[in-house]
Amino acid sequence: MSGDTVADRRLHPATVPVRFLKDAPSTVLGLPAIAGFVSNVGVGRVLIFVGIAAAALIFFSWLSWYRFKYGVGAHEIVIEKGLLNRSRRSIPFDRIQDVDIERGPLARLFGLAKLKIETGAGGKDEGALDSVSVAEAERLRTALRHRGATIDASDDAAAAPRVPPIFAMDIGRVLLSGLFNFSLVFIAGLYAALQPLQNILPFTIEDFALWLGFTEDRLLSGAALPIIAAGLVLAGLLGVIAGVARTLARDYGFTLTLEPEGLRRVRGLFTRTEVMIPRRRVQLGLIESGPLRRRLGWLTLNVQTLSGESKDKGRQALAPLATEAEIVPILSAIGDLALPGDGAFVPVSRRHVLKGIVYNLPPAIGVSIAGLFFPPAWLLLLLFPLTVVGTILERRTHGYRLAGGLLHVRRGWWKQRLWIVPVKRAQTISVSRDWLQRRLGLATLLVDTAGAAMMSDPRIVDMRAEEAVALAAAIRRGLRG
Amino acid sequence: MNRLEPGQLWVMRIHAAIFAGVALAAGLAAGFGFHEGFGTPVWLPAAVVLVLLSYPLLIAPGRHWRAWGYEKGDRELAVAHGVLRQVHTVVPYGRVQHIDVAQGPIERSFGVTRLVLHTAGTAHSQVVLPGLRRETAEALRDEIREYIRQEPA
Repeated sequence: MSGDTVADRRLHPATVPVRFLKDAPSTVLGLPAIAGFVSNVGVGRVLIFVGIAAAALIFFSWLSWYRFKYGVGAHEIVIEKGLLNRSRRSIPFDRIQDVDIERGPLARLFGLAKLKIETGAGGKDEGALDSVSVAEAERLRTALRHRGATIDASDDAAAAPRVPPIFAMDIGRVLLSGLFNFSLVFIAGLYAALQPLQNILPFTIEDFALWLGFTEDRLLSGAALPIIAAGLVLAGLLGVIAGVARTLARDYGFTLTLEPEGLRRVRGLFTRTEVMIPRRRVQLGLIESGPLRRRLGWLTLNVQTLSGESKDKGRQALAPLATEAEIVPILSAIGDLALPGDGAFVPVSRRHVLKGIVYNLPPAIGVSIAGLFFPPAWLLLLLFPLTVVGTILERRTHGYRLAGGLLHVRRGWWKQRLWIVPVKRAQTISVSRDWLQRRLGLATLLVDTAGAAMMSDPRIVDMRAEEAVALAAAIRRGLRG
Repeated sequence: MNRLEPGQLWVMRIHAAIFAGVALAAGLAAGFGFHEGFGTPVWLPAAVVLVLLSYPLLIAPGRHWRAWGYEKGDRELAVAHGVLRQVHTVVPYGRVQHIDVAQGPIERSFGVTRLVLHTAGTAHSQVVLPGLRRETAEALRDEIREYIRQEPA
């Protein structure tokens, strides 16, 4: 059956120079530079090395381009590649889950696009055409999508007039969103990345600290407090800048459009990515908000989708920074999801606080004993009331609501999360009770859903045990439809 | 709730015994080491290990075995297990992606098999039910398979 499809198309010829430019820094410049450095030969010879390496690289790029062919048949797309080991891969249309288009800065310069075909088999590079012209990418995507699993689309998406986006972020919104994405981790990463480059950089990182006045004797003298404060302010400032820069690169020109088969998201400053999120693959919605964002009325909407293994594929941002009024139409466009109605959330048991206190007792006792030998350890006991206050606040915000086939779970007082789980998407339902929970008559309920793991799942911790059993039964009834 | 086959209790005991054997060997080795270094009796660490092992070796297998249970509904399978943390999981048949019937060498000698249900989920993508008779496991598998065939998810 397969095998009749002819692979008669090649990638765009500009792929060769693009690949060359991409690989050049490491191959053409890196290797001869190391050779020159190690063997101490003259500049002329190094240049000859560079020339040879460049020629070889161009030749091999061209060869792999020449040997790469693809073709679209009646039921499948076929990719043939390999210099010596020829491989022929055929991907049947009805196995194609998703077709994404990605355009890096170089590709955009040459008018190219990388087409990624995903089958849900969970491997990377299931089928990638790197790169074809933008028009070809669009043509292929429509062809693959419409002959694939989604046949219901009657009109040609490429020919259809551009619909206005259901959600878009202008530059101001992207910058604002960046302000909330304050990131010190990024700076730590940058610092770590700079360490090996110490020898090459015109300044050393320690010098930089020296400029700021971080010398050991000054630190020890105690006169360094204002300097430390200035350093903290600077670190904070850098964190804000890093957050804004990262968000700008990722979310610039964020638009979400509604199409027959799902939502199409386009974003990115340097690398433009275009992702299709089919409605039926959305497993759950997660609305997040930090303390400051919440006060200002800003929310973040993510959805978990059934997808391959890669971690960022399973979780898709549908609105990095939006108001509730903007989120409602996005949710209704997905169809299965909605914000909780007017009814109240059922809070978890008050004993949740008691459990928190009991769990914090052993460390508190340990610290008290340690304090007998080392009095400053007593200070750590101050953390105990703080965690108790945290648990009380946590219990106040933690609750659930089951109505209309949707399970809403709310949790967190600092970073508030609201999960929206369509009951029909439940994979398994489990009720668990640890030793203390059994003594307190509590239970934890988890409705497991498909897709990549999010940072946290919609578990309801410490409901009354009977209530958990009843809720599990209600969800099971909902599953039966 | 249906209990597991008694054979599974022996499987659990043997698993515990293997673990105990390894720990005891480590204890003996440590005993010789300490004897060289501090002059403690050779048998002392091994004796401590043996005392510590009394729970996992003698009591835990029975408790774990008793904690396991399963219940077959017409559309779902409920599996319960866990001693310290008791977990009760319900897997709707329609959510099962594929099913394994597995048997290790120890399990084979006691005539029990494991049924593993794979779902597309994240936290509980595998639901394991050990200690079934081969016929029971295969009958369950066939029933679930039949259900999936009639009602594709």
